[in-house]
Amino acid sequence: MRRLWLPAGFVALIVLIAAAAPLLPLMDPVRQDVANRLVAYLPGSPMGRDEFGRDVMSRLIWGARSSLAVAFASAAIAAVIGTALGLLGGWFRGLAEVLAIRGADVVLCFPPVLLALLVVTLLGPGTGTLILVLSVLYLPGFIRVSFAEVLSARSQDYVEAVRALGARTPRILLRTVLPNIAGPVLVQVSLAVASAVVLESGLSFLGLGVVPPTPSWGLMIRGARATMEQAPMLLLWPCLALTATILAMNLLCDAVRDVADKRGGGGAPKLRLVDRLLPGLFPAPAAPRPLLDVQGLTVEIAVPGGIIRPVEDMSFRLDTGRTLAIVGESGSGKSMAATAIMGLLPPAARVADGVARFDGEDLLRMPEAARRKLRGGAMAMVFQDPMSSLNPVHRVGDQVAEAIRAHRDVPAAKASAEAVGLLKRVGIADPDRRARAYPHELSGGMRQRVMIAMAIANKPRLLIADEPTTALDVTVQAAILDLLADLRREEGMGLVLITHSLGVVAEVAEDVVVMYAAQVVERGPVSQVFANPLHPYTRALLAAVPDGDIEPEGIPGVVPRPDRWPPGCRFAPRCTFATEACETPPPLEEVQGQAVRCVRWRELRA
Amino acid sequence: MWWLARRVGLSLLLMWVVASIVFLALHMVPGDPAEMLLSTGGAMPDAYAIAELRERLGLNRPILEQYGAFLYGLTQGDLGTSLVDDYPVSAEIALRLPRTLELILAGTLLAVLVALPAGTFAAVRQGGAFDRIASSLAAVLQAVPVFVLGTLLILVLAQWLRWMPAGGYVPLAEDPMRHLVLLSLPAIAVAKGLAATIFRMTRASVLDALSRDHVRTARAKGLTPQRVLRRHVVRNALIPVTTVLGLQMGTLLGGTVLVEYVFNWPGLSTPLLRAVEARDYPMVVGIVITVSGLFLLINLAMDLIYAALDPRITRS
Repeated sequence: MRRLWLPAGFVALIVLIAAAAPLLPLMDPVRQDVANRLVAYLPGSPMGRDEFGRDVMSRLIWGARSSLAVAFASAAIAAVIGTALGLLGGWFRGLAEVLAIRGADVVLCFPPVLLALLVVTLLGPGTGTLILVLSVLYLPGFIRVSFAEVLSARSQDYVEAVRALGARTPRILLRTVLPNIAGPVLVQVSLAVASAVVLESGLSFLGLGVVPPTPSWGLMIRGARATMEQAPMLLLWPCLALTATILAMNLLCDAVRDVADKRGGGGAPKLRLVDRLLPGLFPAPAAPRPLLDVQGLTVEIAVPGGIIRPVEDMSFRLDTGRTLAIVGESGSGKSMAATAIMGLLPPAARVADGVARFDGEDLLRMPEAARRKLRGGAMAMVFQDPMSSLNPVHRVGDQVAEAIRAHRDVPAAKASAEAVGLLKRVGIADPDRRARAYPHELSGGMRQRVMIAMAIANKPRLLIADEPTTALDVTVQAAILDLLADLRREEGMGLVLITHSLGVVAEVAEDVVVMYAAQVVERGPVSQVFANPLHPYTRALLAAVPDGDIEPEGIPGVVPRPDRWPPGCRFAPRCTFATEACETPPPLEEVQGQAVRCVRWRELRA
Repeated sequence: MWWLARRVGLSLLLMWVVASIVFLALHMVPGDPAEMLLSTGGAMPDAYAIAELRERLGLNRPILEQYGAFLYGLTQGDLGTSLVDDYPVSAEIALRLPRTLELILAGTLLAVLVALPAGTFAAVRQGGAFDRIASSLAAVLQAVPVFVLGTLLILVLAQWLRWMPAGGYVPLAEDPMRHLVLLSLPAIAVAKGLAATIFRMTRASVLDALSRDHVRTARAKGLTPQRVLRRHVVRNALIPVTTVLGLQMGTLLGGTVLVEYVFNWPGLSTPLLRAVEARDYPMVVGIVITVSGLFLLINLAMDLIYAALDPRITRS
């Protein structure tokens, strides 16, 4: 809001001074006094006199008055007529629409200054001509905005409702639609006023706008050009006044737009391409080395209200050639954990604690350059939405080949050939032709196959698949899962599969990690956990979704927001077994290869 | 190809609309257009002069006949003769247009070369010192009217520092060095608004592209940050920038009129302004149609660039 008040205050001040010009103790702005021409200072003329001996300060203020009068008048006329045309066009469609929209298009065919000059030729210069031209120039903006808004408002329920009640058209337009388009129209008004000040001054500067001796900033600059060597201030004052006014108006426009456009959220978080190195040391692990060993992984995000932790103290391990599933509802932190391990966290998030050893080396403390060499090489990732995850402007074959050449020094032609082979490997028919396609030309399932081809391009030892089937049709889902399972078996990769579907877990995974509100609540071999769930959440998941194919909606309530976590057990508010004991945070307990975070697991098992 | 043919057809259609509007404008004036053109202030023009002007402009003929002759003339490149000196309008334009084109080209090139890298860099280091300084500068540049910047450049560089000539023109063949020196200040003035817009747009567009999923994919492949930026961020970010560039061309062409005036650059604006002041309607019409045609042509070129950048346009 501070961004709104400063420029708004400045613009208001200018408008106020200009409006009050007749009341201020100013000299006559058009009275000439040749004896005092180009004098830098006179009592009563703090800014001096111009080339005809007229008072500069008085002319500046009166100049503001004529500029602003033209700008506001034309913006107001354009707003009223344009909005009316847009409303009628949007409401009646048909001929009204054609006239309004095509009319607007015609105005946009001309560069604005040239259209203005054409009209000035016909009607002669003057304030009236200026207002006419400027209002025509700004009509299209209002027509388009109000037309679009009416179209969307028409289909809204409340307008339909008022219509069904038998209200007459003008009444509906005025009472229901008009207040809703006020925001965008206001934005257009501010844009039109700012732009009109620029055009008015430009035309006056050319001597084709405001007619002398009426003062105007453009005319003052025009006049001062001849004497700029003797009296540069004469030039600088109107330049400064004009620029400052336009700057304030532009800033005000931006602020008004931000306020009116509620969809545009706050500023984007700070970005950095090179991830930070993170401190923190853990003792080296003993015994056979797992492929991926995650210990105490904690991710933090700084938000306006403080710090939230979408992943907290997460631990699991994965051996070569095995599949581990991470399950949980949306918001449980499973994807965030995966991106943290890959070093692909969004800029606002950072790893606060923990280690993630990949073949014994900590990914989280590795220099970004070293981690980049692993990414797409020894470890790869497949994302949820294959449409947005592929670059729309490059051919898919090139995108696969790019992954090859990022890690291996092969000639472009060989990489392309290899990319075709990979596409074939992931089951794409006619791979030669498909390699030359753009992502939008492929089906969802095929796009995901391309993503997988890209991921396995360099024979990774670890593949993380983040909900690889969620965005796909049900029929395609099974095929993609089969592909992943085949690849894991044939390439001997370790696979981390993130999913919310227990059906998927049962089908492909050997180990499972159940997450709830950033924490691991249960962990163990799939057969053991499914046969003998220890945590009430796991039980509820299994009970709620017998077929395991849809998001578990059988559990009442939703995952709490990260800034509203209950102090004790985070599942307690939704848990049918919750007691007073659940008000203290439960630890993660290990039992016979299984781990569970519940104080009552022993009683509940019985 | 079909897409291209339709796009070119649309441009021709718009050209016809522009020409018709310009033709009709004279007849939409309330009262007698000839009287309107001759009246200055409140003085009633001479009846003989009005009759002569009506004859010159062909206003006595049926309107459809006038319209047909006008359109036929256009296709032949005949834009009529000046009311002031009977000189063919098309000859005047043929002489001046290359100079205006040179100025536009130099200004656009300058704006793109400076603003694209600057906008990208500002986005990559969002919130950094460069970003803050460049963003403020862009906001100020956007607010300075082009004629104010031109005048101030003359005041500071030509009058005070005496580093540059205040304006003028020398043909390239005569003195290439001097030609470029004289071109530089007007080109900077033409470039300023465009540069500010391209900078802001590039910055916003790159910021948006950086947060896209496919950029994450590119990083997941293990590409170097430079390659991610070049191939997966900037390339995609350019698409909305070209759209805005096309929309800005109208402002750029209008700004060129002012810049040519400020720097005495003998392009189209000199005869245009002279003609507007003298109410020399055929000359004004000729130049307005030429520049509007240029505007449509530039927009067509922008659409082609846009299609080349974004395969989704032509292929679906």
